[in-house]
Amino acid sequence: MLRVFLIVLFFLIIGTTALCAGAEPKVEVFPPASYDRHIIYQALIFFWIGIIGLVVIIAMKLREIKRVQKMGIDEEEGNVPFLD
Amino acid sequence: METLGALARSKTVPSHRFDVWYFAGGLTLFLFVFQFITGMALALYYVPHAEHAHKSIVDIVTKLNMGWLFRSLHHWGAQLAILVLFAHVFSTLLLKAYRKPRELVWLTGFVMLAISIFFGLSGYFLLWDERAFAAVRVATGGAGNLPLVGWVIKGFLRGGLDVTGETLTRFYAFHVAILPLVTIAVAGLHILLVQIHGMSVPLSQERKQGGPEPFFPNLFYKDLIVWLVCLGVVVTLAVLLPPEIGRKADPLAPAPENIKPEWYFLFLFQTLKLFPGEMLGMNGETIAIVIISAAILFFFLIPFFDRRSAMGQRSPLFTWIGTFYLVYFTVMTVIGFLT
Repeated sequence: MLRVFLIVLFFLIIGTTALCAGAEPKVEVFPPASYDRHIIYQALIFFWIGIIGLVVIIAMKLREIKRVQKMGIDEEEGNVPFLD
Repeated sequence: METLGALARSKTVPSHRFDVWYFAGGLTLFLFVFQFITGMALALYYVPHAEHAHKSIVDIVTKLNMGWLFRSLHHWGAQLAILVLFAHVFSTLLLKAYRKPRELVWLTGFVMLAISIFFGLSGYFLLWDERAFAAVRVATGGAGNLPLVGWVIKGFLRGGLDVTGETLTRFYAFHVAILPLVTIAVAGLHILLVQIHGMSVPLSQERKQGGPEPFFPNLFYKDLIVWLVCLGVVVTLAVLLPPEIGRKADPLAPAPENIKPEWYFLFLFQTLKLFPGEMLGMNGETIAIVIISAAILFFFLIPFFDRRSAMGQRSPLFTWIGTFYLVYFTVMTVIGFLT
């Protein structure tokens, strides 16, 4: 009985070792700690707020440029007299 | 600098119904610069040796501060650069922007697309995992099926009979030295030619277009907005979907099951599947490669075949041909992705 148990145990150990050798642990491609994840997602939200802010500023600037261009006062005249 | 400033102030861009496609070129340039910057950061830590390549990437991702982000940004930047480049090429094709006198602009743009795809393949291989190894073995094997010159290309790319550590060294040299230099030269020529010829206006819009818009500051600010949004998209993708790292490649192991190439090779992969192993007593794959090469060559030389567009006349046949190319590419890519 003991002999059968030892043989089964032997094959179990060998089998488990072989299985573990084949399955390499998966590489963590993203920080696993929940605190780090929280910081990263928070930074992503701030990043988007920054981008949206910049887009709004540029769009406003562009609108102003177009308004000035439409009025025709954006170009320098060639024969403007010097004030000095 | 003053000359450049004067050039920017004097440059105008046509405005019409399809002018949104003009942004694709600038966006591609932005993504290329982005790839150069993130790639330089990664190159500081990557070890181009078969024994250490995989481990160096695992170390970059798991041990370096923000290493995972830089790798992910580089990965998603590459995907978007190729996607935008395809959009740029197909919009140029369908709007007939390749027509005389812009043939050379088209040719240099096409070379840029080929370079980008090779950038993608060589960069993918540097990971040195099972999937990348199998993908490069299939891709270089496919190139080897070209009649007459196939064996030379295959041997040159692999640096030997099979994919080995020699191939990794070669692909590293291509990825970080040869291709960037060629890219700078070809992209420089492409941009110079665009400045010389100006932006192309589609034939259908020549009489409908509005007044030209100054490049600086109007178009420059619009470009900035597009680049900022694109940057946001790349960063979001990099954070939410960081690319996986597979098991280290074993040259002696069989290829893993159900592997697929990168999405921009899927249409080729699906086309190869359509052909049987043997046709008319010849190798089916060789016939497929010859047909695909002929189709790509026709695509490359399309400005010289489309004579009507060159004379300023409408050419519906080439619109249909362009649509066929686009639909075929999209459908085959989607089928390859889903199956």
